[in-house]
Amino acid sequence: MGLTIGIDVGGTKIAAGVVDADGTIGARTHRDTPADSVDATAAAIVDAAAELIAAHEVEAVGIGAAGFVSSDRSTVLFAPNLAWRDEPLGARVAEQLKIPVVVENDANAAAWGEFAFGAARAAEHMVCITVGTGIGGGVVIDGELLRGAHGVAAELGHMRVVPGGHRCGCGARGCWEQYASGRALVREGRAQAESGSLAAAQMLSVCGITDPAELTGPMITEAAAAGDPCAMELLEDLGRWLGEGLASIATLFDPSTIVIGGGVSAAKELLMKSAQVAFEKHLPARSNRPHPSFGLAELGNDAGLIGAADLARRPVPVL
Amino acid sequence: MALTQALTIGIDIGGTKVAAGVVDPEGNILDRLRRDTPTKDPRETEDAIAEIVRDLESRHDVIAVGIGAAGFVDGTRSSVLFAPHLAWRHEPLRDAVERRLGVPVVVENDANAAAWSEWRFGGGQGESHLVCVTLGTGIGGAILNDGALQRGKFGIAGEFGHMQVVPGGHRCECGNRGCWEQYASGNALTREARELALSGSPVAHNLLRAAGGDPRKINGPMVTELAKDGDPVAVELLEDVGRWLGIGLANLAAALDPGTFVIGGGVSDAGELLLAPAREAFKRTLTGRGFRPEARIVRAVLGPEAGMVGAADLAREEATWLRRVRVKTTAVTAKTAAARGRSTRVERAARKSAARRTGLRAASAESAVELDDSEA
Repeated sequence: MGLTIGIDVGGTKIAAGVVDADGTIGARTHRDTPADSVDATAAAIVDAAAELIAAHEVEAVGIGAAGFVSSDRSTVLFAPNLAWRDEPLGARVAEQLKIPVVVENDANAAAWGEFAFGAARAAEHMVCITVGTGIGGGVVIDGELLRGAHGVAAELGHMRVVPGGHRCGCGARGCWEQYASGRALVREGRAQAESGSLAAAQMLSVCGITDPAELTGPMITEAAAAGDPCAMELLEDLGRWLGEGLASIATLFDPSTIVIGGGVSAAKELLMKSAQVAFEKHLPARSNRPHPSFGLAELGNDAGLIGAADLARRPVPVL
Repeated sequence: MALTQALTIGIDIGGTKVAAGVVDPEGNILDRLRRDTPTKDPRETEDAIAEIVRDLESRHDVIAVGIGAAGFVDGTRSSVLFAPHLAWRHEPLRDAVERRLGVPVVVENDANAAAWSEWRFGGGQGESHLVCVTLGTGIGGAILNDGALQRGKFGIAGEFGHMQVVPGGHRCECGNRGCWEQYASGNALTREARELALSGSPVAHNLLRAAGGDPRKINGPMVTELAKDGDPVAVELLEDVGRWLGIGLANLAAALDPGTFVIGGGVSDAGELLLAPAREAFKRTLTGRGFRPEARIVRAVLGPEAGMVGAADLAREEATWLRRVRVKTTAVTAKTAAARGRSTRVERAARKSAARRTGLRAASAESAVELDDSEA
């Protein structure tokens, strides 16, 4: 098969690219996401794809979107950041573009990108988590993406890790993504700064800010990379939650490879070291079982785009 | 003898008892045997298995033996990596028993075996995405997608009981704290009931009486019996376990998105006393509830012999397949051998998924499909 288009629909930006069978991105384009209007979002997707189709011979389009995507790979049941509710997105876009379109959950698409072309190229059983504002999950079993009975499997960020814990946007409390995501990192950093901690005050000054409300995840990562103790501890704590959660997840899927991607993974060893220690320490019956390998994603922000494009080549799967 | 009518033996090896049965292709048990498990020495356990099989073989013509064991069974289903209640450590059980018996032997995790029989003959029939949870002393788990047991990379997927549900919670024998099976198993039910009785609470009066006045003698079935008779405390104890069950199932639904959960094991004898609060807690904690289809939660129908029946049926699958391969062996050509060398990861996956539909030995599935290819 020749070229396909991958489209990553984020809360603020729609990124599109032409991708070949080796996962290499050729031409790219992007649009702003009109988050409040279903029609305008679909129009922006069509517009971006049409621009690429005009200049390249493509055979299909894959769209990665945050939300519950039905197993028909066309309907978005629900999206947390956009106005989609039972939205037949794939059918709608296909009708206008006149080529086949599949819609995939964004974290599934990113996981598939890492599986097919990135950090898990050699694996057959993979768990991939995308740690951004929240946590997205993707699971590959025996070389196939796990979609579940209704299409909404691998929502790993919403496994409950703390009974009665922090409130989550999904309606529950204590979800993993309230403890091991970018949002959690910032919440903890701000809370510590607001508590009047001297260490946090020092971190704010390293970040060049005075108001805790201005603190962001990348600031904390940068401060940690510069050796700020408070920022390093915040990332260590986050890593610990990551590792503990992954140990539970490993009991479900018994993967050969665990891949950690997303914006927060830019902290690299500052995060991974404590994550790996916690993982090894919490893996049940750890001395009596093989351990999976544990590594960083390789495709960066493009994982979702590349994965969506590659999934567009594939027929409706068995799993 | 037509293979479709052939009998197999299923053996369920628990920490205290070995239960074996002769099973027909419809999952009916035609004959049964039970004896104590010699747990200290792997050879003695093997001896016990061989004795039981010979005993049953003297009365029935069987073509294969399936063994379900609590523990980690490796991806090729030949070795037991680790068994918490037995002396097996990297024990090459399949080959050892096959050598002694001279019939094909299949080794399977006990919860996987139980799930397989629920899918073939019980509460999970026709379900494309099935998750089984077995509530016994601990919690066993299994995942079946399109009728294929999901074993993971090393053979040990589906160990749901050791998901952490309470940070720093009750100590678990797996080495961690706060595992699900410390909250939603038979052990949890017994622990909570005994604790309540030990506290001297007057509400535990009936419980204590049922145990002859000794809190240490309270057990799970006692609580279930009292709950069925309407004892309010027993009902509450099962409600609490049910709630933890539902919360854990919501986690599993987030990760696995099944169409049906089948709940089996001794604790499930409590029926709706357990499942009603489980459903309520599930609905209350499921991520994205209201915006997604929800899985059904139903009770297993095959009872304590599900593992035995499942092991026997998996053995039948294996024996049937082995015979087919032997017939076709002559068809292997140099061409298919070369193709094997070239096979890419994706092709392998496609072959496996074809073979998985019948639940075949994964490591051998590749060559099986190649044999089929060579005929085409």
